[in-house]
Amino acid sequence: MTLNGWIDFSSDAFIVAFYLYCASFICFAIAVAGKRWSNRKPEDHTSRWGKIGFGLAVLGWLAHLTFFFTRWYGGGHIPTSNMYEFMTFLGMAIMFAFIVVHLIYRNMILGAFALPLIIIIIAYASVFPSEVQPLIPALNNYWLKIHVTTAATGEAFFAVGFAAALMQLIRVVDFTRTDKAGKRSQFWTEFSLFVIIVLIGFLVAVFTFRAAGYESTFNQETIVIDDAGIAKSSVKEVIYSLPPLVAPYNSEAVSFQSFIGMKEPLFESPSWLNGANAGRKLNTVIWSVIAGLLLYGVLRLFARKKLAAVIHPHLSDIDPDDLEEISYRAIAIGFPIFTLGALIFAMIWAEIAWSRFWGWDPKEVWALVTFLFYSVYLHLRLSRGWQGTRSAWLAVIGFLVVMFTLVGVNLVIAGLHSYSGV
Amino acid sequence: MFQNTKCECGHQNPVGTVLCESCGKPLLEELLTDESAPLEMRYDGVARRSQKANPHIVDRIWNFFSSVKIAVYLIAITLVGACLGTIFQQENTLINMTERSEFAAFYKEQHGTFGVIYHALGLSRTYESWWFVLLLVMIGTSLVICSLDRVLPLYRALSKQQIRKHLQFITRQQVVYNGTVEGDQEAWLTELGKQLKRKHYRVYQEKGALLAEKNRFSRWGPYINHIGLIIFLLAVLGRSIPAWHMDKYLTLYEGETRQIPDTNYYVKNENFTVDYYTDDELANNQKGTKVVKLYETEARLYECTDACDDPMKEPVLTEVKHHNIRVNSALSYKGLKLYQNSYQERVRFISVKPSLINSATGKSLGTFELSMDHPAEKLEVGSYKLTLSDYYPDFSLDDKSQPMTKTREPNNPAFVIRVNGPNIQAAGELYIYFAMPSEKSKYYEKIINESFKQRGDNTGLFTIKVENPIVDGKMNNITYSEYSTYLNIRVDKAMPYIWFGAAISMIGLIMGFYWQHRRIWLRFDDHSLSLGGHTNKNSFGLRADVAWALGKTGIEVEPKSLDNRRNVR
Amino acid sequence: MGRYRKSIQYIILAAVLLVGGYAIANSLFSKSVVLTKGDKPPSFRLAGLDNEVHELQDYEGKPLILNFWGTFCPPCRDEMPALQKQYDKWKGEGLELVGINLSEDKLTVESFIRQVGVSFPILMDKDKKTEKKYGLKQYPTTFFITPKGVIQEVVIGGLLSEEEIEVRVQRLMKS
Repeated sequence: MTLNGWIDFSSDAFIVAFYLYCASFICFAIAVAGKRWSNRKPEDHTSRWGKIGFGLAVLGWLAHLTFFFTRWYGGGHIPTSNMYEFMTFLGMAIMFAFIVVHLIYRNMILGAFALPLIIIIIAYASVFPSEVQPLIPALNNYWLKIHVTTAATGEAFFAVGFAAALMQLIRVVDFTRTDKAGKRSQFWTEFSLFVIIVLIGFLVAVFTFRAAGYESTFNQETIVIDDAGIAKSSVKEVIYSLPPLVAPYNSEAVSFQSFIGMKEPLFESPSWLNGANAGRKLNTVIWSVIAGLLLYGVLRLFARKKLAAVIHPHLSDIDPDDLEEISYRAIAIGFPIFTLGALIFAMIWAEIAWSRFWGWDPKEVWALVTFLFYSVYLHLRLSRGWQGTRSAWLAVIGFLVVMFTLVGVNLVIAGLHSYSGV
Repeated sequence: MFQNTKCECGHQNPVGTVLCESCGKPLLEELLTDESAPLEMRYDGVARRSQKANPHIVDRIWNFFSSVKIAVYLIAITLVGACLGTIFQQENTLINMTERSEFAAFYKEQHGTFGVIYHALGLSRTYESWWFVLLLVMIGTSLVICSLDRVLPLYRALSKQQIRKHLQFITRQQVVYNGTVEGDQEAWLTELGKQLKRKHYRVYQEKGALLAEKNRFSRWGPYINHIGLIIFLLAVLGRSIPAWHMDKYLTLYEGETRQIPDTNYYVKNENFTVDYYTDDELANNQKGTKVVKLYETEARLYECTDACDDPMKEPVLTEVKHHNIRVNSALSYKGLKLYQNSYQERVRFISVKPSLINSATGKSLGTFELSMDHPAEKLEVGSYKLTLSDYYPDFSLDDKSQPMTKTREPNNPAFVIRVNGPNIQAAGELYIYFAMPSEKSKYYEKIINESFKQRGDNTGLFTIKVENPIVDGKMNNITYSEYSTYLNIRVDKAMPYIWFGAAISMIGLIMGFYWQHRRIWLRFDDHSLSLGGHTNKNSFGLRADVAWALGKTGIEVEPKSLDNRRNVR
Repeated sequence: MGRYRKSIQYIILAAVLLVGGYAIANSLFSKSVVLTKGDKPPSFRLAGLDNEVHELQDYEGKPLILNFWGTFCPPCRDEMPALQKQYDKWKGEGLELVGINLSEDKLTVESFIRQVGVSFPILMDKDKKTEKKYGLKQYPTTFFITPKGVIQEVVIGGLLSEEEIEVRVQRLMKS
């Protein structure tokens, strides 16, 4: 097989993995939702469908591994060098973490929450161009393998901790309460689900417009001050694949495909958003929220109650303490790995490549913020009153911090880690 | 604050003890009111060192830093502060600026009013600001004091544990079993101990009671981690010792040798190469663009061995290292490290080799070399003596139309040369020679030589020019540098300590998180058996251990049923 | 045990104060090299056009004007004659004037000096070393240094007229 043949093969393996994950999720969903179906004992039902789901998940993971190694072989370097590759790797790592935690606790319900997370992440990966790009000099080092894989593995355990914590929150939220605190917890639990729906909305929007072949182009002028202190302006082409509600800062339209009567962007992106292609990203965020709102509205229309209230009854026979322990344990497993990969290995590589082990680059700072956040989580759990719901919330927020570090920093802040140009 | 700290078992406990150090009986009033609530087992209920009856000011400071709550606040504030620093670019990323006013202008221009506020608040230098450093210092202090206050009492408590614990202590653990054992209790206990040993527990037994314990060392994990962090922080601070740290940048064109500031070392950029990926190697969406594959500086590091500080002499250099510096591959010599930072595509003249030509015959009389840096002032070409009388690296005319150099860089080098020799006028012939083969330079050259001729400084006998300037499509008789390399020179003597601290910290984390301290206490009161189990993490695993061992000795229990947290549901 | 514990507390808190104080002081005082009035000028050891080695301490005890200049800088070129005139006028009273060239080629410097007719010592900086030590931002920069070896005034940028130089020399003489 040629190298390109291997890469094509790896893409196929990736699609197989994706569908296996989806099938696995459906089985886990049946395991959770079908307990009260007639003619069966709930425990047997959950156990049987959970086992099928787990089996499919493991198969999917094997396909995912196949994708990873064949792409590595075909591309000539470890596929963790741009956003597409990193996100698919993260999905694979979360799957690994899920398998580990599942083997420890054998909680059949966890999959129903972990798998959608994995599916969303690898679908998100597919938003980015999937072509194998050669390495730039800065990345061409064996630390690329070590640093990225360990950091992602640590983060994957945090993701599993997040899934368990979210389950715990939905499990303990009390929909009969009408007092202020009760309302508040109902709102925020629902809001967490809404955020996930917005993410799905983003994916739906991107893939819908991509399928429709939508494209608009702008020329954006940016002013860069060079080493000699002379301001130079450069014009860059920015291509939108979602209808531009927001134009890039300081730009003019080159081609504009109209969308339901909209002939020009509604407004221009503010100047202080200074990441690469900030305008396009803001546009994407707005579209995601719109699509998410639509999706959420439709779901609410069907369910006729809060989404958390739909899931809540299916979790009633799980002990929330077990969920808390799973969440805590996943984070406790992930924390040393994260520290090693995202801080210590990162420092070693930074020392080798950039001559300093630490330079307060935004990505570095956010890795530190993640570390500090989970340190707070671990210390707070020592004290009474912080176990239970509160620590579950911390686990949920912690994962938001992780995702901001991985995605948000590239989205809104320019820094040394903006290789992927995404 | 008076408290009776003597336990009913006769042990005298220090003030602040939660659970009797000896038998484990709860001592605090509030713990006695609800007899079924699980016990707080932090630090085994021993008194922290800092809990004292009459705090003095030093004690108060001590107590402040000894609180985990304060530590959490400190971490949280640091976290928020660190986030603030990432809103806009930090000043240290703007290498070409140094003045406060320059920075202020930059933030104003780039980010408007927010930028002005951001800069005015000092957030553009978050990580070097006094308050951020203060937070780190306070975290360091808290690490020392918190650990010291807990680890010593905990060590004491764990190294002299009683086997038979107070009944309440056992029944209020997170894992609890109550039952009865008929028959020989001691034999049963021994058997259970055997089973627990198979699970790698250490078993201590006395009459009617048993203590099984494993992985006690994992309790030291957090403290080892903290020690590592303290070493790390101190090492980071060590970098501010001037002799321990250097961070300089050098720009070198090809062929240039420069001294590394404040050292006895010199570095030469022998050659600089840039490689681009071919279209075949690029992804489809990259084809046609220039993607750098590799750039490297072939560098030589020299040490000055003689005449180093003598301004009258050229230093004597000895090569000590030869290395191709690349991103990810620095030149390293005795703690000095040279990193490839970036490069610039900028043509710079190095030297030129023109010929002295007889204008009438067009015949070359020979060549001579003019270097752009410290050109030789006396030259010989055949029987002629050449004297350099003036050199303008970047030729230009000042406001009085006098020749001058515009900059120190040889952007448009012009040489004024006097030729002496046989059969020419006694004062010699004076010529100007422009090395840059551009039309404008050659035009100047012609005009000025004309004016020399009119003044009688030359007779037009000679022409100075480079012969065969291009051979096989390459510049001939002209050497120049295409790229300037930008090297970062570092000394960081604190690095070994930083890695050492990080390694210690990592060892502590692994000890603390991947092993769990598990303890199981049993006691018989007549026929009734009470079992309590405690672990700092993973009570799931402990329940499994207990259920397994009990199962082996004939008591079948569901692991889940042993869970005593939030009482039995 | 109580006393022992107390002394440990004191030792640790003192160490924290020391180490922390050092860290914070480090962050408070920036390490800028910009020299101002009252600073001591950094020493140098440079070759002169006269083929002699010149050091800053050679000029100790005498009022000194230190002028950093280059032939590439028009105001530097323009103020050279004024400096020369003032040097001629005051050298009898003990004034020392030293021009430090900004790392140019000797040939370039020599021919300019010949042209202007400068008689005060001209020193050749190498590799911009001295210039960096003095934290120069603009050219020319002139330091007026008292006999006690303290900077009395720094004039950044040109161009100094004869009168402006004279006022400062008089001030220097008085101190």
